[in-house]
Amino acid sequence: MKLSLSSVYRPYRFPTLINSSALGRPFCSPALSSPSTILKPQVPLFLRPPINSTKLCDLKKWHDWAKGVATSIGSAFVHSDNGPDSSLLCREIKWLMEDAVEDHSVFSHVGLEGDECVKMRVDIEELYCLWKQRVQERRPFQYIVGCEHWRDLVLSVQEGVLIPRPETELIVDFVCDVVSKNEDLKRGVWADLGTGSGALAIGIGRVLESEGRVIATDLSHVAVSVAAYNVKRYCLQDKIELREGSWFEPLRDMEGKLAGLVSNPPYIPSKDISGLQAEVGRHEPRVALDGGIDGMDALLHLCDGAALMLKPGGFFAFETNGEQQCRALVDYMENNRSGSFCNFEILADFAGIQRFVIGFHQ
Amino acid sequence: MSMAHRTLFKPTFLLTLTHNKTFISHNPFRHSIILPSTTITLNTHLRWCSSNYTTTIDDGSTAKAKGYLGLTDEELMRQCELGTFKTSGPGGQHRNKRESAVRLKHLPTGIIAQASEDRSQHKNRASALNRLRSLIALKVRKPVDLDSYSPPLELLQILPPKSSIRGSDCGPQIGPNNPKFALGMQALLDLIFAAEGSVSEVAKYLGLSTGALSRLILSDDSLRMEVNNLRASKGMKPLK
Repeated sequence: MKLSLSSVYRPYRFPTLINSSALGRPFCSPALSSPSTILKPQVPLFLRPPINSTKLCDLKKWHDWAKGVATSIGSAFVHSDNGPDSSLLCREIKWLMEDAVEDHSVFSHVGLEGDECVKMRVDIEELYCLWKQRVQERRPFQYIVGCEHWRDLVLSVQEGVLIPRPETELIVDFVCDVVSKNEDLKRGVWADLGTGSGALAIGIGRVLESEGRVIATDLSHVAVSVAAYNVKRYCLQDKIELREGSWFEPLRDMEGKLAGLVSNPPYIPSKDISGLQAEVGRHEPRVALDGGIDGMDALLHLCDGAALMLKPGGFFAFETNGEQQCRALVDYMENNRSGSFCNFEILADFAGIQRFVIGFHQ
Repeated sequence: MSMAHRTLFKPTFLLTLTHNKTFISHNPFRHSIILPSTTITLNTHLRWCSSNYTTTIDDGSTAKAKGYLGLTDEELMRQCELGTFKTSGPGGQHRNKRESAVRLKHLPTGIIAQASEDRSQHKNRASALNRLRSLIALKVRKPVDLDSYSPPLELLQILPPKSSIRGSDCGPQIGPNNPKFALGMQALLDLIFAAEGSVSEVAKYLGLSTGALSRLILSDDSLRMEVNNLRASKGMKPLK
């Protein structure tokens, strides 16, 4: 079945105001692919220069205060929206100190006492502000420190960019498995759509052969800038290309050429957004979470595009909301795209939830 | 909050052992293992949950030849059931909680190792795997025939240079912080168990003085503990 180009390249989320034939003209590279204004991404706390100096006893004062605040929370957040409890917050205090203090070996041999000074990457006053934001505003810990530890990577994140989730780490393992058995895919061009911080693109970029490349796209200018920062930090500029635009829009030149396609698209049903954990619902970009009425808008669009973009034998892996979406997605591909895909598998995440749909183009 | 829950969240070094009264023989591979869905209840919110993704067991032919510690990380991982925290709720994009603790159960031996101190689940998995290797070295015994005993290379490599049977081709001494130490430690424990805990007898096999061998045993806490447990069971005084 041949798809109409316009349906795949059109940003699915927006009503078509422009004549679709103009938008759908094949191989016209949209101006979107080169960011017009360069946004300077924030530097994660652990990479900032240690230009502040604080007495250990003052740091201890902060630590005791922060711990007191964390303890007072008890399980209130757990009950209100399944948020963090105080033991989790206390672990975050430890991680925050690890990122803020230049030489944290100092804790093990000196402890937090005395007039001795310690070099810090942040002013102690700001440290008080940051912890207030964490607890009072429920600002995600990862935005506080400006990074997330994901697989063996430490990725920069900031407001406007989805914090990569541990579940998504598994997609890189799936790709590893596939390319270890198939040299052709290992040397091919892969795409990560809605790349966010660039996590999947970087994870995959590091398992491909030297000829292999990844094109990472995102609608959000902030995401593209942050992903570019992360790609540069891991010296993968030659391997990973960032393109700004909605889903397949920046990929018109890749029709039938992709060796692989991965995505962790927004998949939460719109009605569930308001009930999300405050860290997620109030602070993370809605555009990266809200998947429409049944959460499937982006996933279905990705299936349509995958049929057009993947080369024969090409691989795809999508993350979903859970078992129901996995099944619906496989049904859709079998019924509406029959003959396009084969060898579907639904795979569980580490918590045992059916989370991923993977498969191959015929 | 339950004790178990607190222990799991302790951000420091964590080791868990199953209690094996009888020592595990070296070839316990079965061709197919039916996995029970191992679920240890911690409290109402949190439980360990196993994933289907990494639970395939290979036929063990490579393991038989090399021993578990000779396996690559990937091969060893394939013999493990991987547990992570399962919490209530749908997970994925819904969730922002760093419950990245990892628990590995090595199915052929039942040995459990876990790690929770890092922010990344991936790194905790690597730490748990390293811990599993030391635990296997400590807990899995191979029978040794003392009449025809000759120490394997991995054991010679952890001996101090003054050992009279250690050739110059063994390279520099491998210390407890080197990942290769586990292999040598395993061979050393095999020999100590065969000699029923007698350090002076083992020292003779290794061309060392009793004092030098004691110092080697005392250089690693877990090794010392294992040897002293054995000595206690035989009514011998602990090494200090």
